[in-house]
Amino acid sequence: MKDRENSGNTRRDFFSSMGDGLYGAALALLLGNDLFAANPAVVGSAPQVYDLKPKKPHHSGKAKSVIHLFMNGGPSQVDLLDPKPALEKFAGQPPSRDLASEVRAVRETGGLMPSPFKFAKHGQSGVEISEIMPHLAKRADDIAVIRSMFTTHLSHENALFIMQSGRMLPGRPSLGSWVVYGLGSENQNLPAYVVLDDPKGLPINDIQNWQAGWLPGVFQGTRIRSEGSPLLNLHAKEEWPGAIVDLSRSLLHRMDAAHRDQRPGYSDLEARIASYELAARMQIAATDALDISKESEATREMYGLNDEMTASYGRRCLMARRLVERGVRMVQVYIEGQIWDNHGEIEKNLRYCCGKTDKPIGALLADLRQRGLLDSTLVVWGGEFGRLPIAQKPGPTAGRDHGPSGFSVWLAGGGVKGGTVYGATDDIGYKAVENRVSVHDFHSTVLHLMGLNHRNLVFEREGRNERITDEFPARVVQEVIA
Amino acid sequence: MFRFKNLALGLFVPVVAVFGQDAPRFEGQIRPVFQARCFPCHDAKNKQAGLSLEERDDLLKGGKTGAAIVPRKSSDSLMLSMISSGRMPMGGAKMADTEIELLRRWIDAGALSDRDKEMEGQPLVAVTERELSTSIVGAKCLVCHGRRRQEGGLDLRTRASMLKGGKSGPAIVPGKPEESLMVKRIASQQMPPPHLQEQFSVRGLTSDEFEKLKHWIASGAPEDREQPVDVRAEADAAIKPKDREFWSFRPPVRPKVPEVRGQDRVRTPLDAFLLEKLEAKSMTFSKEAPKLTLMRRAHFDLLGLPPSPEEIREYLADSRPDAYERLIDRLLESPHYGERWARYWMDAVGYADSEGGVSNDTLRPHAWRYRDYVIRSLNADKPYDRFLIEQIAGDELLDYRGVTEYSADQVEKLVATGFWRMAPDPTYSTEQNFIPERLDVVASQLDILGTSVMGLTIGCARCHDHKYDPIPQRDFYRMSAMVQPALDPWDWLAPNEQCVGVGAKCDDSTIRFLPLLSIKERKLVEEHNAPFLNRIGDLEKQLEVKAAPLREKLRAEKIAAVPADVREDLQKALDTPEAQRTEIQRYLAGKFLVAVKAEEIEAKFEDYRKEAMAIRRQIQEQKRSLKPMPKIRAMFEMGGEPTPNRIMLRGEYTNSGPLVAPGTPSVLSVGLEPYRLEKPAYRTQTTGRRLALAKWLVQPNHPLTSRVMVNRIWQNHFGVGLVASPGNFGKTGLPPSHPELLDWLSTEFVRQGWSIKAMHRLIMTSTAYRQSSRSSADNHTADPANVLLSRFPLRRLDADALRDSILKVAGRLDLTPFGPPDETEVKPEGEVLTKTPKTGERRSIYQLQRRSKMLTMLDVFDAPQLTPNCLRRSNSTVASQALQMMNSELVRNAARYMAGRVMDSAGTDAGSQIERIFLTALAREATAEEMQTARTTLEGMRREWLQKLESELPAEPVRQKAEWLALSTLCHTFLNSAEFMYID
Repeated sequence: MKDRENSGNTRRDFFSSMGDGLYGAALALLLGNDLFAANPAVVGSAPQVYDLKPKKPHHSGKAKSVIHLFMNGGPSQVDLLDPKPALEKFAGQPPSRDLASEVRAVRETGGLMPSPFKFAKHGQSGVEISEIMPHLAKRADDIAVIRSMFTTHLSHENALFIMQSGRMLPGRPSLGSWVVYGLGSENQNLPAYVVLDDPKGLPINDIQNWQAGWLPGVFQGTRIRSEGSPLLNLHAKEEWPGAIVDLSRSLLHRMDAAHRDQRPGYSDLEARIASYELAARMQIAATDALDISKESEATREMYGLNDEMTASYGRRCLMARRLVERGVRMVQVYIEGQIWDNHGEIEKNLRYCCGKTDKPIGALLADLRQRGLLDSTLVVWGGEFGRLPIAQKPGPTAGRDHGPSGFSVWLAGGGVKGGTVYGATDDIGYKAVENRVSVHDFHSTVLHLMGLNHRNLVFEREGRNERITDEFPARVVQEVIA
Repeated sequence: MFRFKNLALGLFVPVVAVFGQDAPRFEGQIRPVFQARCFPCHDAKNKQAGLSLEERDDLLKGGKTGAAIVPRKSSDSLMLSMISSGRMPMGGAKMADTEIELLRRWIDAGALSDRDKEMEGQPLVAVTERELSTSIVGAKCLVCHGRRRQEGGLDLRTRASMLKGGKSGPAIVPGKPEESLMVKRIASQQMPPPHLQEQFSVRGLTSDEFEKLKHWIASGAPEDREQPVDVRAEADAAIKPKDREFWSFRPPVRPKVPEVRGQDRVRTPLDAFLLEKLEAKSMTFSKEAPKLTLMRRAHFDLLGLPPSPEEIREYLADSRPDAYERLIDRLLESPHYGERWARYWMDAVGYADSEGGVSNDTLRPHAWRYRDYVIRSLNADKPYDRFLIEQIAGDELLDYRGVTEYSADQVEKLVATGFWRMAPDPTYSTEQNFIPERLDVVASQLDILGTSVMGLTIGCARCHDHKYDPIPQRDFYRMSAMVQPALDPWDWLAPNEQCVGVGAKCDDSTIRFLPLLSIKERKLVEEHNAPFLNRIGDLEKQLEVKAAPLREKLRAEKIAAVPADVREDLQKALDTPEAQRTEIQRYLAGKFLVAVKAEEIEAKFEDYRKEAMAIRRQIQEQKRSLKPMPKIRAMFEMGGEPTPNRIMLRGEYTNSGPLVAPGTPSVLSVGLEPYRLEKPAYRTQTTGRRLALAKWLVQPNHPLTSRVMVNRIWQNHFGVGLVASPGNFGKTGLPPSHPELLDWLSTEFVRQGWSIKAMHRLIMTSTAYRQSSRSSADNHTADPANVLLSRFPLRRLDADALRDSILKVAGRLDLTPFGPPDETEVKPEGEVLTKTPKTGERRSIYQLQRRSKMLTMLDVFDAPQLTPNCLRRSNSTVASQALQMMNSELVRNAARYMAGRVMDSAGTDAGSQIERIFLTALAREATAEEMQTARTTLEGMRREWLQKLESELPAEPVRQKAEWLALSTLCHTFLNSAEFMYID
């Protein structure tokens, strides 16, 4: 399989050869005769069977997969991607009434605080990037920075839900669920929507971040751990001897086949047998996909696996690449707890955050490009909000509090116009004022790049045509699209 | 200072704008754009959606969804977002970018009009009392100056109470903002007090809000003298007569039972209705299912558990002609019936043991009483009308404040109102206890009522008129007015016992629990707690004994550090009891803080710190064993004048529209007594709004109440309801497959006294229900979705039934009913399991239903995330289910226990063991061929295990162990089989 990966074949080739080969039986059952099933139809009175067969996009989108580098915690835009020299001038001045009315920790409010970091223009495009992200700076011409994002809630929980699902409360499907609902997956032996969480702990809202909400459970994100057994119950605690497993499987197959044959017309029974075969396949496929020991030393070095600081995040970035290479549609990579939630010691803490993530992210972009995968892989970087330009707990250990009114994200690959800066915050970086981009705009843009129209990607639920953007106005940010 | 104009539009006050020479004006540059593109629908005559674009002030006034523009804020202007997203002009080409840019520039420059010149260059924006009272004062002041708290004697709820003022005088001086106390306090940032903002979930006023307040006062603080919108069914402009003709808005009329050819297949009238349609297609029912298939089906349908081998033998031995009917009766009498059917009801109303919302997903400690109420009510076959009345308005059925001890019946009625406390509710967190989050809770709750009881998606009318059904937005807010006296976003009760976010002392007036006034229950808890409390008391005493001398020492040191000349006075002050101190003594005691805090002692004395920590740990341990005093998680009104209800344009509280009075959806009027309010004369001071709703709902000929419920009963027997969209009987729902049958059943339901059990009996004794699920491929071709019910549908066990069945066949199901839920835990690898007591695990319904941490077994088999509720579970078939069944410890353990049980009853003979497994897991006997296959496999497994054990443990006798392991692997295979997981 490794040879095939490196032979430059497309994923489609890889996938269809799997269909002909060893895994034919299970795949044939899953896919039927039609490789592309129709897009999800309206729920009728017959129980609808939902699956992950590849679906035709609404229009041809360049991106086939998404890697979402989720920077949970809320990275500070004025220290990373949105330089504000005016903060030097106004340093220490109290915030305006409007800014003050948006502060979360009211009692800790300080004056305006300039960034401790220097910015410089990078690449041919001259995108300005903070000195603490030198590896990203080398990819400046690959990324499109949106500096005018805004959201509507200032606490992590709600803002995370908004970023994931468009609404501030749990229960609605996340972006990843919508993507795999709309497009299925190109590899039936791996989960379509993979979540690589940090072994040091789940983000806030934990598993609800990748929920399918009222979309069928098959579209929910699947947590794959980067240490230990990657999938829940992929293997039993104590494995039985191989001969026992064979005996059990063969009896089960006979029983189930007889059960199915006595009950013609129930396609569910067919699908169930296939799901058992796939589970067995997945044990091999998942293990292989995540086995980074197969990577070259140069690659390991590039992702920072040899350095304790970058090893953990580097592993996950590398796994993300291996997964999209195999046709996984959506990969979200999380970072431990809340490291971007820098309420104190902004300088020290941001150096730590970037120290952990910058090198692996630079490597991921470079690696995707050298493998010809960047064109078809959309990489998204961003958190649930940004941070305020004022000091929190002013003094030598000052940090910054949550800032929902203006923050930065970047996109790369998959049809994105690299070397772009779009939108602007005000002079002090508090509020998006120019070409404002809402979270709904952001969602519709990501979907658009994937070939999906957010207005047409609907799920009918109790008579309502549900969409990720609901009835909110949403606009595809064409300006960041190549 | 300010000038007003155009009084027809209400009151206008100026807003300062930026004036550039080149700022576009409405008349010259903007109107021509509208004229060309928008006037066909939005001129003064047509006014689609209430919006005219002829004058600038028309835009400010806006239409049904509020103001079209917000001067200087293009990004907040609805019109611009509609135009730039291409949604407007409706049906026309998108506006040119240059035009959109012009509009944006015009708005951002202040949305100027030529007439502003006459007004000394000041454009105008309306400010009304209602805008202030809902969005500004309501959201930022009332928590301390409202109904339950009046800090400084000040109540800011109305203009009159503002004028009356508090201890420091009137809050406002009409016409003189600069002299108004309120303005002064806000200007100096004293109000809302910064140190209390976080605790009370309040933020300071924005500059816009502050301007509005000042302008309102400047213009004389005019009062709104608005009357609620008049809604009378006979003359309601919002509803057309045709709207009332829709099938589900008209009362069910009992149809005649049709004559059919196949009379021999008609056991109940239901069969006749179904056969009529089948015969029209030259079809008929499938043959009757075998006796044991029916038995297994009935067991799962009514109890959610498989029959035991003993029950099977007994049933097989019963040769009476009505053995089946007797079986149904027996099952209906089982206490486990209520557990099965409560699950469906709890899905429909969105029951959970946690609040949801945020990551710590706080527990709802007393919610389980509602779960028990539902189970008991169903077991007792409580008539559905009574069941509903109790849940919707149980508190309004009695004067609960006038009672010193509740009777069991009264407790039940109060517990039942937990129905209104089911929605996910994040407001226990101060960061999520703002008005929008509270409004979401109310909306979810109305959604639950709408979909579960009324089959209406009334939630769709929260932000705008319902797009498909004749439910104007007005009716959503009339419905929310029915619950507002109890569920009031402007006077919110904290959902938890810690009172986070209420900012006040934590007592019964600030939380949503009623004390459970049942002496017996309280006594039980007190008796349980007494030894722990004693122990805690002892430990605290120990701690104090150790701390006292150290504290004294530190105190003496502190006093010694005070300048010598004041030391004596200070000592004297401290010796004087606090209440008797003079002004100077009070000052001294306050100035020199000599009180010693616990932390200070610990910082000073390391040995003590260690000891104290150990003791505190013990105290914590003891506290964990304490049971909370029993409380009722109830819905009840807070008394006093209810907060007015206004339509919220676009669903935003900052965009308040006309006043409304409580009422039910106006389209539901045919043949119904109207919603009628009668205020009960209780000390409880309840308005009776929900009682009136309940009584309106349970009218025998209500078009929705009985239809919606019988449909769900049907759905839970046949997999799909007669209306396949159980929560939506509106226009976008699916029409009934058998309208006459639905109506016959709903009238029969009422005729039989709303008895749910009577419906089960009726359905389960029908030929339709007793059909086989196996039929020919032809039958599937003729009736692919089984809409005609030409066969019984094969169904997979739902998550709860599957888990419970695995445990039952393993002999690991603990059937103890009721009480607090069993705790669950998250294993390091992410699996969520029950914290298992030695005796086994209880049924799934008694496991902690924590939204964010659902038992993995239930989660992978489609147990719904209740946000807010679920009327019909989805059914997925995915590989993670196979992994769970094959590899999880839960199933593997169950298989080991099951093998042990099989050996207990069947001995070591392979044949007897296999017979027993078939009966236990599949509720049938094995065919000869199946027996042979299973036997060969078992023998192979025995051989393999023996070989493995002998090589690993050569010195030990391993044959017995090998036999047991072999049998467990065989049981495991059976638990994984399709036949175990599907019901025929």
